[in-house]
Amino acid sequence: MTQLPDGLWYKDAVIYQVHVRTFFDANGDGIGDFRGLAQKIDYLAELGVTAIWLMPFFPSPLRDDGYDIADYRTVHPSYGVLDDFKAFLEIAHARGIRVIIELVLNHTSDQHPWFQESRSSRDNARRDWYVWSDTDTRYHGTRIIFIDTELSNWAWDPVSKQYYWHRFFSHQPDLNYDNPAVREEMWSVMKFWLAMGVDGFRLDAIPYLVEREGTSCENLPETHQIMRELRARMDQEYPGRMLLAEANQWPADLGPYFGNGDEFNMAFHFPLMPRMFMGLKLEDRKPITEILQQTPVIPENCQWCLFLRNHDELTLEMVTDTERDYMYDEYAKDKSMRLNLGIRRRLAPLLDNDRRRIELMNGLLMSLPGTPIVYYGDEIGMGDNVNLGDRNGVRTPMQWSGGWNGGFSNADPEALYTPLMLNPVYGYQAVNVESQKRFDHSLLSWMKRLIRARKAAPVFGRGSMEFLYPANHRILAFVRQLDKETVLAVNNLSSSAQAVELDLRRYKGNILIEMFGKNIFPRIGDLPYLLTMGPYEFFWFRLRKI
Amino acid sequence: MAEESILSDDFLRELMNVGEVDILVGLPTYNDARTVSHVVQAVRAGLLKYFPRQRAVIINADGGSKDSTQEIVRASSISDLQNAPNLHALRTLHSISTQYSGGHAPGAALHTILAAAELLRASTCAVVSPDSVNIEPEWIDRLLRPVARDNFDLITPIYRRHKFEGLLVSNLLYPITRALYCKPIREPYPSEFSFSGRLAVQMAGLDIWQQETGRIGGETYLVVSAITGGYQTGQVFLGPKSRTDQSAPADIVKALRQTVGILFSTLESNFPSCSAQGEMKIASSPDGRPAEIDTEPIRVNRKRLHQMFVRGIVDLEPVLKTILAASTLAELQRAAALPEENFRYTDELWVRSVYEFAASYHHSIISRDHIVQALAPLYRGKAYTFLTENRETSAQEVEVCVEQLCVKFEELKPYLVELWNGKK
Repeated sequence: MTQLPDGLWYKDAVIYQVHVRTFFDANGDGIGDFRGLAQKIDYLAELGVTAIWLMPFFPSPLRDDGYDIADYRTVHPSYGVLDDFKAFLEIAHARGIRVIIELVLNHTSDQHPWFQESRSSRDNARRDWYVWSDTDTRYHGTRIIFIDTELSNWAWDPVSKQYYWHRFFSHQPDLNYDNPAVREEMWSVMKFWLAMGVDGFRLDAIPYLVEREGTSCENLPETHQIMRELRARMDQEYPGRMLLAEANQWPADLGPYFGNGDEFNMAFHFPLMPRMFMGLKLEDRKPITEILQQTPVIPENCQWCLFLRNHDELTLEMVTDTERDYMYDEYAKDKSMRLNLGIRRRLAPLLDNDRRRIELMNGLLMSLPGTPIVYYGDEIGMGDNVNLGDRNGVRTPMQWSGGWNGGFSNADPEALYTPLMLNPVYGYQAVNVESQKRFDHSLLSWMKRLIRARKAAPVFGRGSMEFLYPANHRILAFVRQLDKETVLAVNNLSSSAQAVELDLRRYKGNILIEMFGKNIFPRIGDLPYLLTMGPYEFFWFRLRKI
Repeated sequence: MAEESILSDDFLRELMNVGEVDILVGLPTYNDARTVSHVVQAVRAGLLKYFPRQRAVIINADGGSKDSTQEIVRASSISDLQNAPNLHALRTLHSISTQYSGGHAPGAALHTILAAAELLRASTCAVVSPDSVNIEPEWIDRLLRPVARDNFDLITPIYRRHKFEGLLVSNLLYPITRALYCKPIREPYPSEFSFSGRLAVQMAGLDIWQQETGRIGGETYLVVSAITGGYQTGQVFLGPKSRTDQSAPADIVKALRQTVGILFSTLESNFPSCSAQGEMKIASSPDGRPAEIDTEPIRVNRKRLHQMFVRGIVDLEPVLKTILAASTLAELQRAAALPEENFRYTDELWVRSVYEFAASYHHSIISRDHIVQALAPLYRGKAYTFLTENRETSAQEVEVCVEQLCVKFEELKPYLVELWNGKK
């Protein structure tokens, strides 16, 4: 696919996040693969997504689901060969779907040849590719991220008899970005994939690239400098491509990742996500509006990435202790649902499989400022399996049908990379694509309509946003505006019917056109605009002055 | 013609915006700008600290303040538009204010609060006084928790007071309520109390609010209704309580109307059938026996109390003749004739006097309001005796005296029954 002239495609995108292993198994070995993914491109095109974000698919010992990369330049044999990826890329592009792949810049697997060389002796040429130390007391003020499994950010290497630095699992040594050779090599890796045609990178664990004594070793200026250099080189050699930052930080710390529009094109809005769930449970818009009030203005060419759920736990790092306790009590009473500082559950189970709440949350996802990401399976309301360890419970096979292995694979069920969901509520016989395709009222069909409505209004991707503050705090209302296009979104966060009066005087004379049914609502006058809303109901109105 | 609502359209609109709540704290006010800020901040802090997850609202029912009372209350809201510095709130806290019609009337304020509680389906409610200068956030916890967690329907306070603070309560309201309703409610006319949503709904639906009874004595009516309705009642120790303005003379006639008058009126439908409904529970452990508050001594003009008693006995003789038994009146007249230093209004005589007033009220010997008013000089005589006898005693010894008086009210209860039934 030739790159579209509009370099800001990512602002209008609807992204679908998927791990190739989980989606469709074409060769019958029980593990999803690129040939399978390519076969399902039509499904994604029908859903309406415009981009796919692929989780790491590189050779890896898979001790962290592929985030422990052992070779950056090819494909894990379980998922096929490099040519399979290329074929998939071509098919996706042919269907107008861009492909974003994931790179883990911060660290490698300890099985990566670079680390094997580095640890082989203190004199090795790659010794300085990682962060080594004689003591485990350096960078003392740095927090531990995986508090459930790691006691320190340093691990002892018995081979070379020094400690190595790791911000994540101890089998994931951090690369040393103070070494120019490392930076050059990682750019070389990026070029490898850009030249093949990928449209962007989701860069994992970005805040941690550089370490400095006396700091938190997060969000350091040196890290931003490295990213600006990579961005400049990408823009120059491969214009129109995109960098997406995974930086789980407070809003004030996230702003710098956009630089002056010269660092990341997009960044996840991590603090917003838990507050959407919090606002829903509290039936109060305050958590949502407050975090968005604190969100810095970003350069015109940049964009937030919004998500409800992803492959990780619902992270509660960016909330206060009080808020975290509340979230645990409300969304993860069963302690087995908790992991690190988060909740390892999917969207539907989090929302008690309540269709109205699922719709409302997706409505928010698609209408708040940013580019939405749909996690695979959430479009049909897949469940999770907390009995599987770590975050594997939210990474079960895609449920295509009620047939053998849920239509995911022809292998024996015992050969699947992980067990299918089988319970009567979320099991593949109850929740699957095939059955939901049959009905217009299914969640899948509704999601298609939602995405279509979102795509039909560029204002959602690029427009400004202004909150209305109706006295009814259960109502989250905001106006999105782009040029002459104005959209009013009104969301009832409450489980009960609500009346709300909106101050729309500045839009006096406009009529409201509801964007799904295209029905006309009364013209805006001088009086407060009264709406009555059912439980968890939301409206999108296009304002038209006729 | 449709019945006029006590809730204005604007207030109703605000209630709609608040929606269903778990907790409602009512604040009846009238020109309380001087003290209400501290109170409302304590309420807000208490809600945030002890009930951070509950949906709560502060409802201010104002009697037509001309000062900034309402603005101060409204400013204590916490929302995405109105953040409270240094206070982190999970959710929105509405603090809304309304002026009820008809002018300042405590009962009208309570009725407004009850109506709001019903409409908002509040399961746990409290009322706090806007001039409680000693209020702490912990009061909110102590008031609300027994209702919210332990299913109490009514919680009344126990305060730590100066031994001469609340004379009407200690010499009349507490003992008579305890004797007649068999519940040792220390503050039968509470300025702070909490109650359940079900009690609020029942109270809001009564007809008393359009009557004088409701307009001036809603709190007492609510307490009595809880007792006689079989609701679970309890008491909590809140802390020190002192009057905000000790220089202001208390309007004893007004106070008697609001308390004794209402109490007498409640007997109409309850006495003598009301009997022990079970023990009064202490909903939370009191912080030791409420002892005397360490404040400046209360200055009371005892001489004037005595003078007013004497003059009342003389001036109101025709009225008192219709109310009191001849022997009681004769005893009072003899006492009134004694020099001040020899005057003493005994517990027994006081109890007999009060019971004869109650019976006369029941039989409507004369205008009921006149009966209540005529009690004022007698109360002053009793207050004089109490102050004189306890001038040198400790707070604990005062408590012993109060207990003795309670026992006397209980001992003489059959006497009231006889009077009530017209046997004497």
